Amino acid sequence: MAQCVQSVQEFVQDSFVPMVAVLCSEEAERVTRKNNLNFAELLRPFCRLTSEGHIRDPNNQLQVVKNLRICVNNLMTSPTTTSTSPSPAQRQLLSDVVLSCQPQESAVTNVVMAGDYELNFSVTTPWFEAYRENFLQSMPASDHEFLNHYLACLLVVSSTEAVPVEQFLKLSQEQHRIQHSGEYTNPKWFIPNTLKYYVLLHDMCEGDEQRADLVYEDMKQRYGSQGCYLLKMNSRTFSANVDEQIPDPWSQYLHKNNLHNQVNIANSSTCTGCFIYSCNNSLDPLQLDSSMANLHNLSAVHADLKKGAKDSNSPACAAGSHGACLTLNDHDYIRQFIQEFTFRGLLPHIEKTIRQLNDQLVSRKGLSRSLFTATKKWFGGGKAPEKSISEPKSTFGLLYPPEAPELQIRKMADLCLLVQHYDLAYSCYHTAKKDFLSDQAMLYAAGALEMAAVSAFLQGGASRPYPAHYMDTAIQTYRDVCKNMVLAERCALLSAEILKSQGKYSDAATLLIKMTSEDSDLRSALLLEQAAHCFINMRNPMVRKFAFHMILSGHRFSKAGQRRHALRCYCQAMQVYKERGWSLAEDHINFTIGRQSFTLRQPEDAVTAFRQILINDSRQTAKQQGAFLREYLYVYKFISPAFSLPQLPLPCIHSSATRVYFGHERRLAEGEKQAATHVSLDQEYDQDLSAMWCHLEEQLVASANGGVVPGNFQPTQCCLNSQTDNLRHPLAVVEEPIIVEVTFRNPLKVSLALSSLSLLWRFTVDGSSSSNEMTEETITNEETSAVGVGNMNKYALRNCDLFSPFRNHIDFLLFTDQQTLDLMVRGKQDLNILGPRLNLTKEDKMSVRHGPDRRLNPIITPPMPLMEVFFLQFPTALLCGEIRKAYVEFCNVSGVALCGLRVVSTHAAFFTFGSQATTPLSPTSAENCSAYKTLATPLQRTSEATESLVSAADFRQPSGVIEIPIDGSILQPGQSTQLPLWLRGPDQEGVHEINFLFYYESAEKGLKISHRVLRHTVFICASRSLSIQASACRSSVPPHHCLDEKGSSGTLVFIDVENINTNEGGVREFHIVQVSSSSQHWRLHKYINPNKDKECKLGSRERAKLCFRAARCKPSEATSKAVKKYTFSDLSLGNEQIISSTTPCGDFFFRSSSRISSVSRSQGSIPTENRSSDLTDIAKECSELDLNIIVIWKAYVVEDNKQLILEGQLHVALQTIGKEASSLTAKEEAQEMVLLKFKSDLPPPVILPSAEFCQLIKTNLHYPETCTHPFVQESLCLVPVTLTLSNCSLAQVDVIIDLRHKSTSPESLEVHSSFAWVGQTQYKLQLKPKEVLCLTLQACFLQAGVYNLNTPRVFAKPSEQSTMCETSQQTATPALIVISDA
Amino acid sequence: MAVCIAVIAKENYPLYIRSVPTQNELKFHYTVHTSLDVVEEKISAVGKALGDQRELYLGLLYPTEDYKVYGYVTNSKVKFVIVVDSSNTSLRDNEIRSMFRKLHNSFTDVMCNPFHNPGDTIQSKAFDGIVSGMMVQTA
Repeated sequence: MAQCVQSVQEFVQDSFVPMVAVLCSEEAERVTRKNNLNFAELLRPFCRLTSEGHIRDPNNQLQVVKNLRICVNNLMTSPTTTSTSPSPAQRQLLSDVVLSCQPQESAVTNVVMAGDYELNFSVTTPWFEAYRENFLQSMPASDHEFLNHYLACLLVVSSTEAVPVEQFLKLSQEQHRIQHSGEYTNPKWFIPNTLKYYVLLHDMCEGDEQRADLVYEDMKQRYGSQGCYLLKMNSRTFSANVDEQIPDPWSQYLHKNNLHNQVNIANSSTCTGCFIYSCNNSLDPLQLDSSMANLHNLSAVHADLKKGAKDSNSPACAAGSHGACLTLNDHDYIRQFIQEFTFRGLLPHIEKTIRQLNDQLVSRKGLSRSLFTATKKWFGGGKAPEKSISEPKSTFGLLYPPEAPELQIRKMADLCLLVQHYDLAYSCYHTAKKDFLSDQAMLYAAGALEMAAVSAFLQGGASRPYPAHYMDTAIQTYRDVCKNMVLAERCALLSAEILKSQGKYSDAATLLIKMTSEDSDLRSALLLEQAAHCFINMRNPMVRKFAFHMILSGHRFSKAGQRRHALRCYCQAMQVYKERGWSLAEDHINFTIGRQSFTLRQPEDAVTAFRQILINDSRQTAKQQGAFLREYLYVYKFISPAFSLPQLPLPCIHSSATRVYFGHERRLAEGEKQAATHVSLDQEYDQDLSAMWCHLEEQLVASANGGVVPGNFQPTQCCLNSQTDNLRHPLAVVEEPIIVEVTFRNPLKVSLALSSLSLLWRFTVDGSSSSNEMTEETITNEETSAVGVGNMNKYALRNCDLFSPFRNHIDFLLFTDQQTLDLMVRGKQDLNILGPRLNLTKEDKMSVRHGPDRRLNPIITPPMPLMEVFFLQFPTALLCGEIRKAYVEFCNVSGVALCGLRVVSTHAAFFTFGSQATTPLSPTSAENCSAYKTLATPLQRTSEATESLVSAADFRQPSGVIEIPIDGSILQPGQSTQLPLWLRGPDQEGVHEINFLFYYESAEKGLKISHRVLRHTVFICASRSLSIQASACRSSVPPHHCLDEKGSSGTLVFIDVENINTNEGGVREFHIVQVSSSSQHWRLHKYINPNKDKECKLGSRERAKLCFRAARCKPSEATSKAVKKYTFSDLSLGNEQIISSTTPCGDFFFRSSSRISSVSRSQGSIPTENRSSDLTDIAKECSELDLNIIVIWKAYVVEDNKQLILEGQLHVALQTIGKEASSLTAKEEAQEMVLLKFKSDLPPPVILPSAEFCQLIKTNLHYPETCTHPFVQESLCLVPVTLTLSNCSLAQVDVIIDLRHKSTSPESLEVHSSFAWVGQTQYKLQLKPKEVLCLTLQACFLQAGVYNLNTPRVFAKPSEQSTMCETSQQTATPALIVISDA
Repeated sequence: MAVCIAVIAKENYPLYIRSVPTQNELKFHYTVHTSLDVVEEKISAVGKALGDQRELYLGLLYPTEDYKVYGYVTNSKVKFVIVVDSSNTSLRDNEIRSMFRKLHNSFTDVMCNPFHNPGDTIQSKAFDGIVSGMMVQTA
């Protein structure tokens, strides 16, 4: 229960006060009316006595009466009988009282901490106190108790009357008539001979004071000095001094009074007609909302006016100020009068009555003179009560006649209670209770119990414990047996208050909750609220019970029409449920708060409450959500003003998923043109991809800045999302759109329709001193008409053409949308993006901190060039190695010139723009479908090669970055240029993703954006074409056979070509058109064609072998290594020759060879460092070939019944002699499956590098193949054999030739006997680099046969080598000679 | 059998609430929420005296007009609340106790699930099944 202003004792005591009636003459009424008060009202502020009174109890003990209050009421007669429930008028009165008493906005609220809850609410509940006070006052007088029966009657007559004494007589008769005629049941009288107190009212301004005194003297004679009084008042004329401030003690009492009157008037008079109530009664504290209350107000005022009209001389009456004619002295007179009346009149009267009753009781019982001492003795014996037959029975027991002796004791008890003689009162009540109980007079018994408890409580001290069970029984009896809710309620109110004072909050709460019932919503509401307060006031506050009962109370309040109170209750309960996961309850409370707020004309609050429901992740059903939404929209619509757009709670914006795209949306294709893909919103962000692009851009920027990446380099970001780096303000170019993609989520189960979405933005100028804000300007360019949102939708808002140049700043703030659901509202939602959570410092880790996210705050820069790139005839599928020609078009679509066009790609070998020297003039003029530049058919087909010498510098670019050769290197605004582009299918089959990054910069320098880039991604599907394997071996043909070569040894190159194309339908056959070589030292020299006429054709899965002779380049050509010139030699196999050293072929050769050579160089570099002067090196060098072979082919492809000829080239790099090289890069299968080895690998046995040394010296034996010799004539046949030794290495070599060698192998033994070398059998020679030496040897044969001459053993060693590690240079091939007999 | 079974986290927010007449869900939410006051009262009354040897079963929290509310608190202060129809007089204290024990076991299983995030609402089907078994079957 809430805290009260009064203390409990005061409250209980004031609940039961002596009642005094007032009967006024007309004239006296008129006199008091001057003060805008009637007589009872006039007395009311002075009804509490400040001084102590005394009373003697039946035992002649003096009893002190302290702080007594009396209640003075105008005598009002009404025929209404007592009922068990309050009348409608009463109910209305109570309802109005509660309604009028609202908590102040600024009222002090207390913060109650309970557990982890922090509740904020007002501890006092003045509306409840007001209700209680009015309820107790409006208690109808009933028969079973006498507490609110009138004890005395004041008869008031004015001194201005003609004969005041006669008036007194008249009034006295009137009173007698009212009490005893039996016409009126309602004003009940305590005892038959009521105290009559005669008051002469004297108006100081009007009447003759002496006359009044005379009349008073007469009265004293007549009624005794203790039964009458002369009250002088109105000592001030109304007009005398208006400014004088007199305190108005009536104001705090009178509004209640007013209500009493109103109710009465409303009951009696039928108020038809409309009052124009223009005079504002400022003192009336009631500003009621309900029209009903207004009506009362009006009628009350109307009645007042009517009354006022009667007293024409009191103009102040309508103004509402009370006591205008009273001075402070008059106040004192009134106070004195009350005191006089009470102490001289009332208390002695009560004392006398108690005495009488006591005597009666004593005589009736005849047992003892003292009730004090013998109560127990009297009634403890279970004496059968006297019952008269005539006593009527009611449903709840006995009804006593008014004079029944049982009632006399109760009467006495009531009197004792009224004069604060609680001790006596308690024993009387206790006695009465037993009496009634034994009579089964339940109502009476309950009343006695109740009052016994009250008097026991008021008695105070330790004399008697408070009998709480008395109250409980009383309440139960009232409610269940007597069905008298009014009494039960009174009892409960008292009991709860008492329990509260004793700290028994739990009991009080139970009691209050029990009292709630269906018959009165207002009462239930108030009691539930009090119960809730009880819960929170407990030693261990029960917060949740508090909240729950608050909700129940709020519910009852709203049923009782007390909306404001209901709203307050719900709001208080909300504090407990808020944000604690009890979403269902929370929704319910929010919904109710919303509704109540709305009906109370607080739509903003309503919107907030409804918003909460929608924002929370609702667990409600779809139907319920729909209802919530509808309600919300309705309220929202109600408040949404024309200007500022309120925030909408729905749909939820997934703000971190917002993507911002700077630039135009790309047209992907335009006729045959294919635009560069660039960046689009459709692409998802990919970390690896963006890193790749960043790397490419770095390369471009480095090449544009002379090889160095500037320190402030930041990769261009076109599309910002949650993963990109959003710490910097993005740069947006003026007049280019910014596209914002917003992700919505509809958390509801019902669909929302959004329409007319548009972005709002604010623009701030940084450069100028004044920051110019163009707030809330819509920049709708495209209307997005959206349909029902399912769950998660994305909308890109295409917006913002910015027309203001220079350093500007844009914050996207707002975002409007509308929701439709047969209600359409308009509102906005902010786009606030929280940056990523920081996690660097300790503070960051301890708390949740977010970094900035400047995605939506771009800086607008001056115009920049904008380039678009289109591709023409760009293929999607290629054969491996296929060469295709396409065109690329660069188009400057901005108003600014651009320059510095560059491109970089992930696959540098995929494309070429051609070298500058050899670029054809116009791409359109190229009618020839071949991508190659060809020469006219040579007339006679030679197998000799044509050669050309090309410098690598013509083709090579320093890095992967290619500067695009456009005319004048500047692209003017609106200009476009077309360039040819050659593509070569990747060497590996499969789908290749090829990324291009185009770079360009503004022709002006020093802009904020240094450059711009454009991305392009293509996917090329490469299918298998040919597989080429090449190997070289040393030709055994002696050098002098090929006379045109000067002293260099020849090498044979074998090329195996296989058609590995799997697409049998498509590619019919491959023709090898030409084989070219490119090397710094070697060249293809001759095509050794076994069948001269045939072209080399390869059907599906066919294989061919081609054989070429290679020779060293002419020394003059190969002299200077520094220049790095490449010799291209072309060997055409068909009938046209392709100049391999020109654009597409040469470009691609260099592009692919740069890759190959870099690989081989990196492999070879490690051993050379270790032992550079080692003999292996020398040996290696001599076997090094470094010959690149280019195989140019044509493929005949049938596609759509058309025959197409595709061309292509494949590259093979022959590194060393004897090693096979393939065009297909060796598959790294070896790595896939490696046997686990549990023993560590044995180190490779250190063997002499025999294989390499074998190659140091090349040996040839020259001899006649057949020799006919007449063995008959001459038994010895001598044949001259020339041994040619050629040093392949570039070092001096010592050679030892040993002919005496005898082979240990068994098969050589057989042959051995038949042939022998004659002459010098051992030579020691030294061979200079590349020297060729001929030795003439003599072989001697004894008989005819076939001999192997290859028996000389040749040992060689580099001469500088200190360690002699001679190695046999003997070749394994047999050199056979046939010796025949003549 | 029960008409409403609820699991409340240590911080007093619901981890799981299921009630049988679904149209009255709100009422049960309020009932369960309000019962937490009594639970706390009981814990604070008992907890100090016995330390960790506390009886987990709290018994009848309070009777309302139509229902009886029983409570159970695990050692980690997770509360189980079972609401039983008052008219169902056949249910003995022992049966309520065993229901709670079953519930606790199943709850432990849920917590043992490595994919369950402690503090999240319970969405386990197994738990749901156990609860369904204890609820009044509304045929």
